[in-house]
Formats: sequence, structure tokens, C-alpha cells
Amino acid sequence: MSVWKEFNKGFWSENPIFRLVLGLCPTLAVTTTAENGIGMGLASTFVLVCSNTVIASIRKFIPKKIRIPAFIVTIATFVTIVDLVMNGYFHALHKSLGLFIPLIVVNCIILGRAEAFASKNPVAISIVDGLGMGIGFTLSLVLLGAIRELLGNGTIFGAVLFGDSYLPLLLMILPPGAFIVLGMILGLMNQAEIKLAERTGRTPLIRKEHDCASCAIHRSWWGLGKGQETAEQ
Amino acid sequence: MEVSFIMKEILRLCFVMTVIAAISAGVLAFVDQQTEEPIKNAMKDEEMSAVESVLPPFDNEADKDTLTLKDEADEYKFYRGRKEGGIVGVAFTVIAPNGYSGEIKVMVGVDTQGVVQGVQILDHRETPGLGAKIETADFRDQYKGKSLADPEAWDVIKDGGTFKHITGATISSRAVTHSIARALEFFAANREMILGSEEEKSSESAGSEENLR
Amino acid sequence: MADTSEGKKPKQEAAPRFLVSSSPHLHDGQSVGGIMRLVIYALLPAALFSIYVFGLSAVRVIVLSVASSVVFEMLSQRVMKRTVRIGDWSAVLTGLLLALNLPSTSPWWLVVVGSFFAIVIAKQIYGGLGYNPFNPALVGRVVLLISFPVQMTARWIAPSKWGMEAVTTATPLGRIRESLMSQGSVDLHLTQQEWIDLLIGNRAGCLGEVSIVLLLAGGIFLIAKRVISWHTPVAFIGAVWIFTGIFHLIDPMKYADPSFHVITGGLFIGAFYMATDYVTSPITGRGMLIFGVGCGLITVVIRLFGAYPEGVSFAILLMNAATPLIDRFSRPAVFGARKRKAAAGG
Repeated sequence: MSVWKEFNKGFWSENPIFRLVLGLCPTLAVTTTAENGIGMGLASTFVLVCSNTVIASIRKFIPKKIRIPAFIVTIATFVTIVDLVMNGYFHALHKSLGLFIPLIVVNCIILGRAEAFASKNPVAISIVDGLGMGIGFTLSLVLLGAIRELLGNGTIFGAVLFGDSYLPLLLMILPPGAFIVLGMILGLMNQAEIKLAERTGRTPLIRKEHDCASCAIHRSWWGLGKGQETAEQ
Repeated sequence: MEVSFIMKEILRLCFVMTVIAAISAGVLAFVDQQTEEPIKNAMKDEEMSAVESVLPPFDNEADKDTLTLKDEADEYKFYRGRKEGGIVGVAFTVIAPNGYSGEIKVMVGVDTQGVVQGVQILDHRETPGLGAKIETADFRDQYKGKSLADPEAWDVIKDGGTFKHITGATISSRAVTHSIARALEFFAANREMILGSEEEKSSESAGSEENLR
Repeated sequence: MADTSEGKKPKQEAAPRFLVSSSPHLHDGQSVGGIMRLVIYALLPAALFSIYVFGLSAVRVIVLSVASSVVFEMLSQRVMKRTVRIGDWSAVLTGLLLALNLPSTSPWWLVVVGSFFAIVIAKQIYGGLGYNPFNPALVGRVVLLISFPVQMTARWIAPSKWGMEAVTTATPLGRIRESLMSQGSVDLHLTQQEWIDLLIGNRAGCLGEVSIVLLLAGGIFLIAKRVISWHTPVAFIGAVWIFTGIFHLIDPMKYADPSFHVITGGLFIGAFYMATDYVTSPITGRGMLIFGVGCGLITVVIRLFGAYPEGVSFAILLMNAATPLIDRFSRPAVFGARKRKAAAGG
């Protein structure tokens, strides 16, 4: 297990948003501007690194039966710290992120890393994991926020790029824009992954023929395959 | 034997959880104490920046120099801006109940004669790109220098008034215009009390701190 | 590939074999292109009428919308390395429907952005004709409506002969919303002449929503030709009439006459031409009835209580999303099979 591999998996192969599709609540809700994306991403990264550190260091003392409440209390503590500090020192950002700061507590990525990684690994490598995942999450949010801000407002990080004559495509900074941009990026990333894997000769992370019909939800919904047999009996 | 083992296990789980929760509570208590002052300042700055944006320059602490009055429906909180002791302007918020999609919270600043010094939209849920343009300076600034006497008709042009409305958002524009008119009327009716005397100022300063929290 | 097939060919030709193909085995000569063309023919009278009342600006919107839709369809099929199928007329129909859903004052870029969203985002990205869950033309319209509310809702032109006199006005639905907001009542006292004007299309609105009579004629033509069935339009329009009627009975000052609601807005073009889209609406009669009533209910809720004066396009898109569900619950029993109570449950 190389340190570099644990660090960079959050960028591409296990990117929290575009590969694992976790933490969509903040992803869709706050990425109306690139700045919000950075604020949300850094707040989550801070919580992720701190909770990974603490959980990895006390992992041997936590009984298995109460590990989830223990993790949640730890995470909630750090989220509250972020909430208070941001309110005091970055008041405007705190106001624009609003409710979504406390909601970091229920962000799947953080509990997921605690459960899947930090509770099974030493402190140092858990910090690397948290940092990598957090930065991957932040970059994804900034990318989403930048695209939406540019199309929906004509600016990036508040700097006017398209000038006064540009009529913003408001849809992009409204909720449907989040879904559209997210879907586009997901599709382009899958396409790029297949191309990349073909070039280097490795197995792609996703199936090439990945379509709706091969999705488990679709199959069970239409009663195809296994579902059908049990329903008929 | 069996029972005592289970009891022991439960006690152990309780103990671990209690320790974790206690540490967490301790840490949070410390952070809360440390950030109490900055948060208070940030809230105050936010309140003050809204007041400053609708009033001419003043040099007192307007957020502590307040007065709260009630009419049948609403409560108005007046912030008095002073320069060298004399009142230069009063800022207060009104709520326009008839926006396109709900209430619009408007802060109006007037001088002692009831002439509008500035208008700020604090909160609204109007349609983005349409009614939301009431936030733009272009729209807000048209109320500057107006008073109840000038113009006589506080209406948008479409209704025979003098204020231009935002294209496609007559309803939002009308709601803001009427709410400002109502604010001016309320100010005119209670002018004496609002501009008030020095004694009132001290009694009110205690009340304003309550509100801050 | 080429090598192996050449090697196998002689063997296959030598041995006689059964040809197996899936149903249907009978074909009545209808094709996708044929059906699309019939729908276009049905829409032509209304489109021509819009040119008559709005003049050259209507021609401009229609031509631009159809042309850009076809170009986007061709380009995206090229880029995605699919067979280019602009010959099936579906892009032309989408372009025409989109144009009929726009105001005559639309600037050129508005039309192009709309057809981009309709063809590329709503249709080709999902896999092309037959795979799109939402009606492409309506997606185009709604994207524009949300993004550019001023251009889409604030610049209506009153009809005149060939669009000679460009006088701005409000749509009938916009007008009642306006008076409800300012005076607290809908203030609707229409003379007989005004009712007739509303019917024949002497009123402001999107290109294709003005002439109720011509839209109805086209719709009846399509039903007679068996291109669409009566279920969806009847359920949709009926539901709007009944639901607005109920509210009108409760408070006639606040809620306008149900007949007024039926003949204004985009209800007819929506009910006959867009809610009946094969790809995005249910396939059984029962399903179509559910679909139509759902559309009607949502339309009424948006018109009476929503943030927009008109809700037909949102209603159809929302019910598009529910179409797989409706199809599932309205699945007909297999011929000869006994009815099972849990058939729909799965």
C-alpha cells in the first residue's frame, strides 16, 4: 500500500462525487458558485482529516457494537467546530452555505471513510486517506461550481468573464442545473476512463456496455432476472 | 453468570460512549467560548452594514441606538444614525407581504424629514432573473431622494405612478414600492417618538442588546 | 470480424435454417417518418395561422427552430458516431413544436439555445429517438422559460393582420394572474366576441397556442388517422375543466371560469401534440387516461397556486417522469391469464 496511491485515489479512481457518487446533498445544493464549492470542500476536508485522525487513533478502544454512534459523535464534534469558527471568521461564506454546514455530519463520505478506512488503518495513512479524499471532493465541487457559475452567472470566483452582454443561463444556478452538469461530467469521465484504460491496457473501472438495462435497479424494477422468478412463485 | 456478563458488557459500552461524549462536550464548550465574541461581532457587522448602506454617514453605534414600535400588524425596529449627537437618519425594515412568491423584507433609510436616503432588500424569494432583480442598485436607487410629498402617487408607472418597474416583474416592483410608501407613512405618523429625546436612548440601549442575541 | 465471417459463410448458405424474428410480423406500411409527417401536417394550419397573426417574426422563429434542430440532430449523431437519421422527420417535428411554444418576439439565440437543449440534452444524450424520457420540445421550452423569464414571459405581441401592428400586451392567463394579484379578484367579464376571439386565436401567446380551433381540427385529424388516441387529450382537457370548475364554484371571484382555463394557454397544443408523444407517454388506454388526468391536475395546481401563470409544459414533463410507473401499473393482463390480485405489486 503506497502512500501516494492512498492519496490520489480520491482524485480519479475513487473520486467521492464522480466515481462513488456520494455526498450528493451538498454537491447539488451549494455548488452555485465556485467559491461556495471551495468553502464546502475545505470544511468537509477539515472534518474528514480530523475525524479520520481521531478515529484511527482510538480505533482499538471502541467496541464494535457502538462504533457507529462513536464515529458520529466524533464527526459531529468537528462539524460543530467548523460551524462555529466559520460563523465567527467567515461570516458571509457561512451565510451562503447556511444549513449545509451542519449537514456535513450526515455526509456519507465522512462516515464512509471512517467505517471503511480509518477504523482499520493506522493514524498516518488515515490522514493521507482523509486528505486525498477531501481534496478530491473539493476539486469536484469547485469544478461543478465553476461550470455552473460561469454559465449561470457569467462569472468565475466572482470575476466577470463574459461581460454585460451575456445573458446568464439561469437554469444552471438553479437546482436542475446541478443535476444536468453533474450528469454531463459523470458521462464524460466514464468516457475518458474507458479511453484511458484502453490506452494503458488495464481493466476499466466501469463496464463499457454500462447502460440502463444492465443497472440493478432497472432489472428489479421491471421484474427481470431473479426478481421475476420469486414474484411468479 | 450470564446476566452479570451482559450487564458488564452494557456498562462497558456505556462507559466508552460516555467518555467520548464527555470529551466532545468539553472540546465544544471550549470552542464555543472562544468563538462567542467573533460571532457576536460578525452578526453586528452584518446588521450595521445593512444600516450603513441606507443611511448617510454617521458616527454613533446605531445598532445600540434603537427604538421598537408596533402597529396593528408589524413590529418596526428603528436604528438611529447620529453625527456629532444629532440624528442624521433613521433606518428600519418593512415587510412587503404581497411579493410574487411570498414576503419581501425591505430596509429603508430616511432622514429626519422623511426623505428616502437608501433602500436595501434584505430577504426575498422572488423568481431568479425576474423579480429577484429588485435587489439591483439600478432599481433600488430610484427611491433615493423621494418622500411622501414627492411624488404624490407611490405607484409603478403602469399603475399611474412615477416608479419604473422591472421588466416582467410588475408585481414584485409594486410590492416594494407600496411597502416603502407604507414605511414612510408609519415614519411620518410616529416621527416625534422616533426622533425622540435622549432619555429614551439610554433605556432602549439595554433592549437592543437583548435583541442582538 | 471480416475474416471469421468469410470463413463461415459457405457453411451457412449450404444448410437450410429457420428464420426467427420477433413480433410484430404484420406491417401496415407506417413508418416513423410517416407518422412524424402526419403530425407535422396536423400542426401546419396552426403554424400558418401564427404567421398570419404575428407576421414575419413568426416565420423567422419557425424556420430558425426547425433548421437548428435538424442541424443539432445531425451534428450530435455524427459526434456520437450514430447513424444520422435526420430523414425520419423527428427533428423537424421537435423544431416545429418548440417554435410553436415560443413567443414571436424570441431573439435568434433564444431559439437556438432552446433547440440545443431539446435535441442534444433531452434527446441525443439519452440515446436518441425512443430513449428520451422527456418530451424534447418541452424540455427546450422549460429550460428557456426558467433561464430567460423576461424573453419568455414579458414580451407578448397582440395579434394583427400579418403582424403589421406590433403592440405589446399580456396573455389572457397572465392578465388574470395580474388582476388577481393587484385587485384580489380575477375580474373576468368576457363578451361573446371576446370568447370567439379566444377560440379562433385573436389573442397574445406563443406561436402555436393561439388558435384553438385549428389545433383542435389538427388533433381530430390525427385521431381519425389513428396516429394518436383520444384518451390523453380528452382526459387532460377534461381534468383541467373539472378541476378549475370545482374551484370556480368555490370562489368565482378568485378562480376564473373553467371554460376560460380550457381555451387559454398551451392546453390544446399540449394535450393533442405533446402529451401524446409515443416515446414519453404511456402505451395503454388506461395508462393514457391516468396520464391525462395527472397532467390536468398538475396544470391546474400550477395555474391557480404556482409561481407561473401557465403550467401545461411543467405538467407534461412531470407526468413524463411518471410514465414508466403508469405503464407498469396499467400493464394489461396476458391473454387467457386469470386476474391476480397482486399482479401490479410485483
